Amino acid sequence: MKTIIITGATSGIGLAIATTLAMDGYRVIGIGHSEQSCRKAEQLVHTSDPTGECLFKAADLMQQREVHRIADELEPYIVQTCGGKVHALINNVGGVRSWYATTEEGYEQQFALNHLAGFLLTSRLLPYVLAARGRVVMTSSNSHKGVRIHWDDIMLERSYNPLLAYKQSKLCNLLFTRELNNRYGSLGLRAYAVDPGLVQTDIGNKQTGSMVSLIWSIRKRFGVAPSIPAQTYRYLCTQQEYPSGFYYYGCKEQSYSHQVTDDNARRLFALSERLCAITYGDVS
Amino acid sequence: MNVLITGASGGLGRALTIECARRGYHLFLTDINKTGLESLRNGVERQFPVVVATMACDLTDDTDVDRLLAHLDTYGIQFDMLLNVAGLDFEGGFLEQSRKNVLTIVSLNICATLRITHAILSRRAIGKSFSLVFVSSLASQYPIPLKATYAASKRFLLDFAYALGEELKNRHVHVLAVCPGGLVTTRDAMDGIKAQGIWGDMTTNRIEVVTRNTIDRALAGKLVYIPGIANRILSLFGHLLPRTFITMVLYKRWTKSQGKWLDIGA
Repeated sequence: MKTIIITGATSGIGLAIATTLAMDGYRVIGIGHSEQSCRKAEQLVHTSDPTGECLFKAADLMQQREVHRIADELEPYIVQTCGGKVHALINNVGGVRSWYATTEEGYEQQFALNHLAGFLLTSRLLPYVLAARGRVVMTSSNSHKGVRIHWDDIMLERSYNPLLAYKQSKLCNLLFTRELNNRYGSLGLRAYAVDPGLVQTDIGNKQTGSMVSLIWSIRKRFGVAPSIPAQTYRYLCTQQEYPSGFYYYGCKEQSYSHQVTDDNARRLFALSERLCAITYGDVS
Repeated sequence: MNVLITGASGGLGRALTIECARRGYHLFLTDINKTGLESLRNGVERQFPVVVATMACDLTDDTDVDRLLAHLDTYGIQFDMLLNVAGLDFEGGFLEQSRKNVLTIVSLNICATLRITHAILSRRAIGKSFSLVFVSSLASQYPIPLKATYAASKRFLLDFAYALGEELKNRHVHVLAVCPGGLVTTRDAMDGIKAQGIWGDMTTNRIEVVTRNTIDRALAGKLVYIPGIANRILSLFGHLLPRTFITMVLYKRWTKSQGKWLDIGA
């Protein structure tokens, strides 16, 4: 049985991916923000696939200490139960904040949750993904277009605006994807970024103010059900042959922003390593 | 510039810490939350080339503060700025709260602030300019039923800042009281703001703007800083309308939003 790890797995797109892949016969490990939502999701996934195995754990992934804790807890399970292999890691967790707010480290929350959380978790689980010649999938967005990385103020303390912070963090997802492929592609790892499109989730209603919440409530009515983008993740994770390229929408390769360059990817990777106080392993 | 920040690992403390680090100031951070302090020090050191020292301390405990001061004295650290951020509030009416909680508000917001302020002012470099900042609140502008203790404790800080500022004017000490409205510091705070609807959006201040302006105004020797036009208008009402009328209106408003807030929290 192949193992898939999904963050932000207790609602929206993450939950839809969990259900879909569980029904395909994968062992699903989901990470969600609260015990309560984890138990609910576990039950739901179990109902849709009574014979399958799934495990849900709660963690507040925007805090680095929580990413480390969850990785510490998962490692023995991966080694003992999953044969030391993770077939796919889906860094799906993400959020929107109406206001500039920081994590324990003093990092801006959208940047920390949408980018750094996945960056750090991937580094912790990298050996198991490599052992499976597996895949890493990021939930990005087409809204990554039209912005650049604000290198001199990446936490946007000087120019915060919720949409800009969101867009920049989604651009980070693509840059990270690109650098993962550059570094570990020759070792059999493939990284992908997905544009889920406009989806009916609660992303704009959680930890946002009345205005953002209202706008999102109207906007999301035009979106599709989370089960639609879940098919793209399924496609990327389950194809025998590696799908080509690295940016997908609706199971098809898409064009991405011209900001997604090797230079920017390397630069963001180095900065993220510093901000997480880690060094990605030189695996050979 | 050496800056001491109390309550550094809370939402506003973290934002002020980042603001000071961005300006290249060296920092001594304290908070009751040791883990939070360590995370923050890591975060600052990974981003900015400044010296960051931390020490966990319960400012309501005399012995603990003495320990902190002894530590500062060992290294002979003198400060140019003190940011009194540490403070708290508990939700609920006076009788709905425990006696202990009510007294903790006064003990931290007032007594602890005076304790550390006196100690640090006594250790300042004589003849050099010193900036002293009290984080008061928009709640200092009027008495607030259901937040009676908190609002009064913040009023204390505001009045105290005015008086002390005058007292130390000729001794190179500039005193600033900051009176922010809602700040998005925690998940609870976000839920609380949402419960107030559009009113919450209006009175909520952008924390990164408040912190930048706070340091600018402290350096410029300003006395009081009320962030945001909406809040300045509200504060003006506080001066013009009879206090009995204000308490009546505020009681109605807080009864409603506290109910909603508890709904969201549940």
